Amino acid sequence: MKLSLVILLALFSSLSFGQGPLSEAEPPYFCTAEMGKVPIQRGGRVKPLYVHARDVMKHLGGETSYEGYGPVVSYCLLSVESLGLQNPIKLSAPVEHVELKTFLGLSPDKNSMTYAQVKSQAQMIQAELRLQGQEQTSYQKSLSTLLSRLNLYMEIQAGQNWVIPAMNAKEVSWPFLTDFLQESRVRSAVEEYPKNPMFGSMMMETQRYLEVFGPKVKVEYYFAKARLPVIAMLVCFMALAALTLFKHFKIAMGLTLATVLIQTVYIVLRIYISGRAPITNMYETVLFSGYGALLLSMVIGHFKKEKTFLYMGLGYNVLTLLMINFAHGMLNPTISPLVPVLRDNFWLSTHVTMVIMSYGAYALSWILANTLLIKKKFSTVSKKDETYYCDLMYTCLKVGSVLLAGGVLLGGVWADYSWGRFWGWDPKETWSLIALCLYVAIQHGRYTSWIPNRIFVPFTAAAFMSIMMAWFGVNYILASGLHSYGFSQGGAVFLGSFFLIQTGLIAFTMTSFKRPSQSNP
Amino acid sequence: MTKLYDRFERTVGGMKFAVIIILIFAAMMTVGTFLESYYGTEFANRTLYKKWPFILVQFAMFLSIFLAAFIRMPPKKRLYGFYTIHSGLIMLGCGSFITWYSGVDGQVILRPNDPTRRVYLDEDLLTLTYPNQGKTVEKIMPSSAFETQIDETYEEITLGRYYPYSERVLNWIPPRLEHPNPERAVDLHSAQYMLFNDRVSEEMILTLHPEADTFKSNVTMGPLSVHFLPAGLGKCFDLDNPSKLILWDARKSSCFTPEERGIEMQKGESGNDFFVVQEKDGENYSFFPDYSPYPLSRDFNSVQRDSHLRLFNRKLFQKDPHLFLFGEALSYYDEDEDVWVVKSLNKTSLAELPWMGLQVRLLQYEKNLIPKKTPQYTLPIQKNNEMIRGRERALELVVKNKSFWVTNQQPISLMIDGVKVEARLSKKTIFLPFEFVLERFNMDTDPGTRNPASYESFVKLFTPEGVEKHHVFMNNPLKHKGFTFYQASYSQNPETGTYNSTLSANVDQGRPLKYLGSIFLVFGAAWHYQITRRKKRLKPDHSILKGLDSEKDSKDQRKQT
Repeated sequence: MKLSLVILLALFSSLSFGQGPLSEAEPPYFCTAEMGKVPIQRGGRVKPLYVHARDVMKHLGGETSYEGYGPVVSYCLLSVESLGLQNPIKLSAPVEHVELKTFLGLSPDKNSMTYAQVKSQAQMIQAELRLQGQEQTSYQKSLSTLLSRLNLYMEIQAGQNWVIPAMNAKEVSWPFLTDFLQESRVRSAVEEYPKNPMFGSMMMETQRYLEVFGPKVKVEYYFAKARLPVIAMLVCFMALAALTLFKHFKIAMGLTLATVLIQTVYIVLRIYISGRAPITNMYETVLFSGYGALLLSMVIGHFKKEKTFLYMGLGYNVLTLLMINFAHGMLNPTISPLVPVLRDNFWLSTHVTMVIMSYGAYALSWILANTLLIKKKFSTVSKKDETYYCDLMYTCLKVGSVLLAGGVLLGGVWADYSWGRFWGWDPKETWSLIALCLYVAIQHGRYTSWIPNRIFVPFTAAAFMSIMMAWFGVNYILASGLHSYGFSQGGAVFLGSFFLIQTGLIAFTMTSFKRPSQSNP
Repeated sequence: MTKLYDRFERTVGGMKFAVIIILIFAAMMTVGTFLESYYGTEFANRTLYKKWPFILVQFAMFLSIFLAAFIRMPPKKRLYGFYTIHSGLIMLGCGSFITWYSGVDGQVILRPNDPTRRVYLDEDLLTLTYPNQGKTVEKIMPSSAFETQIDETYEEITLGRYYPYSERVLNWIPPRLEHPNPERAVDLHSAQYMLFNDRVSEEMILTLHPEADTFKSNVTMGPLSVHFLPAGLGKCFDLDNPSKLILWDARKSSCFTPEERGIEMQKGESGNDFFVVQEKDGENYSFFPDYSPYPLSRDFNSVQRDSHLRLFNRKLFQKDPHLFLFGEALSYYDEDEDVWVVKSLNKTSLAELPWMGLQVRLLQYEKNLIPKKTPQYTLPIQKNNEMIRGRERALELVVKNKSFWVTNQQPISLMIDGVKVEARLSKKTIFLPFEFVLERFNMDTDPGTRNPASYESFVKLFTPEGVEKHHVFMNNPLKHKGFTFYQASYSQNPETGTYNSTLSANVDQGRPLKYLGSIFLVFGAAWHYQITRRKKRLKPDHSILKGLDSEKDSKDQRKQT
């Protein structure tokens, strides 16, 4: 089988490049970045190879390009080892856990190990993993991650990862690369793709696939290439700068609208590709909360005729876009299929959207509260202004609380509908209720002037920590419960630093919020 | 008195009380989520969520919500939203109370084509059955998270300690019954070994004592079989007799070879080898070494399994890896040298084996004690929705000062003065007024993977009115006669490979009230803020802020105009 493929390859490479036998064919052989458009069925759905290769190569080696080859070519080069071809890329697995380094005999300053080396120690790693028992330590996790990386690496190397669509009338099958590259198929592509018939045969099948199943894969390819979140981040940043540094409201507003437009396109495309509301994992909720908060701030600001809201919305959106673009370890942008219980677009879109929008509304108050804390420490804020800004924050809290109460109760109804109980003290449920209680307590306190402004501001800033706990903490710190489908790894450090910085900031600025010497009204 | 009541009303209905009670509620919930994360859902329920202090706080909140609205009567237009919010909360409270008081929450486990009416509830139940008297006694176990002393007696049985979460702990204890022949008691020995190499290590407890029922005398470790034998037998294993046969005499606790006694091998009519051992009592015992370790009866018709003589044909153990352990000695066949090796073992030394670099270490050796795993209370641990510690519930039954443990994984049966009693610890069940049958269970997977994409049950209901067919799947429950059934999960029968479907069964009379309360609450809140917003709309715009830059911006704009 392999031999015939090698001969085939030799035949066509000599035919196409006129270079003689295979031994003289040079990497990257028939691999080209254009192959990114070919569909692949992996992880429970069909996507362009570009998306798969990018995710897989990033997962394996922490990079998307190796030795100047992009993700698709690197993935292809790794796969062609199954055809007996030399692969010029030496991939290394990230090894960061200190205990794991010691176990593997790696020096502390090295953070990776070649897959060849990992492979030679595979059995020992397996035995070490078994010795760890059932308790899930970070060391155990690092061992099993390394093993799963190795397995994936070996799967690709053996040609057992890359599947290519083969059309038979309206039916599609997914043969592996080695099975796909049949002589007849490659020959038939020579005419159209004389330079690279291997690639041509894939493109011809892709063409047929798109005719039958529609252009979704093609759209996703351009969607992935466009990198809209980066653009949105830059535009949003400019909008914020225009508003705060250059103090030009009209330009700021124009840039804000552009940001909203880009994010809308990004979200709509994501809905089209995944076929569901874009709020099913951490990445999507973070994205949506920033987007939602910006929209909310524009709406509230418009009705209240108050530009400060735009500042809050832009500030928060920039923060979420930073996370979206740089915190891929914690927020995984991969689109993957949903667990069964979430496959109900009506409940998913109403319940989760409402909760996420409430987070967005609270986030607006959080931005303003922290701004006020810092301002009061380093500059002066008159009593009247303080009251005024507290009123703005209060408006955000009102919106947030109505949305969160609605979201939590809708969640109860959904839970009743799909699990058979309205309320079950699940950590996610409970923490949303805790957050709601804290905000409601603050609102009650302020409504009766029991909580004066000097306390209201730090309280509002601190209360957002309960939102972070309900949002991230339940997944990253508590990590249990029925809502476990949104879980990903690596967020505990982020959350810990957030709590530390927020508490530190409040403690640091506390002095400026001291009770004034004269009697307080 | 009215003064006192008025004061109570003002305090509890007041805003400060509301804020404080909300904060206490939030603090308790925070503790609850951490308890849940370490010790599991049920533990958190049993220590906090379903215990009176927490329920009391909820009641205080309810009172505060009610009185806050009550003292603001008669209705004022400005407070319409506020009244709506609070009546929504009161409805939610009442609905939850009804659910708590009269709701049913259980599980139905459906095996394919096996009709059932049974619903498993959350409570644990001890059932004592007296099969000969047709009598059954039931007792609900306390809903506690910690060790509880029950101290209730029924006839001869006293219920002692109850562990809602327990793990088995190994103990070496004296046997309950004395050996009828004390001299032979030594053959019923027990030992604990560790077998290990660079990669794996396994501890094994082996025993010949019949009371140590959780342990055996044989184990297999991959291709290796381990046999635990009486100590006296070890002496004969390195004898190099040509037939390689060893006989064990249980009466004398000693071994001998046919060659020692001058017994000769004979050929039977069908060409099989056999030999006859003549004992001093005049009995003859015939052995067919290639077929059975037991002697044949006089008429050659049956195998005498209870005979005191037993044959070991070492040739049969030379092909595959077999390890024989005799307490403080071991034996195996060395293929390279073609000899049987016997090595002595003690707690301080290691013995090497000829396979995969394996080594053996003796950890414990007991002639008079037997190994027994008894339950011990432990704090449970839950990881990824699964209990990984403390899975077993255990109850101590004390009969005539001896304690026996019944657990939810292991029912026991006792003989008390000749009366048989069976004890089992299980979930309380109720029976449905109609019967269920699972006709088909269907699981779809995501294309190209084994992740479930959906699971669905096709069920038939047998009711007095006739047969109804239903299709239950995620987000599509079945409602029948006040019960609601939800597709909760599934399990695979490890033997047949067929799928069982688990439905959660639910009766909740509080549901309409909770839904209505939710609507009141959300719309009330929106309404309230609408009303209060109008009041503040006239607030003048501030333009003083030097710092907040959008403000500055508007100031600049105003300057320009």
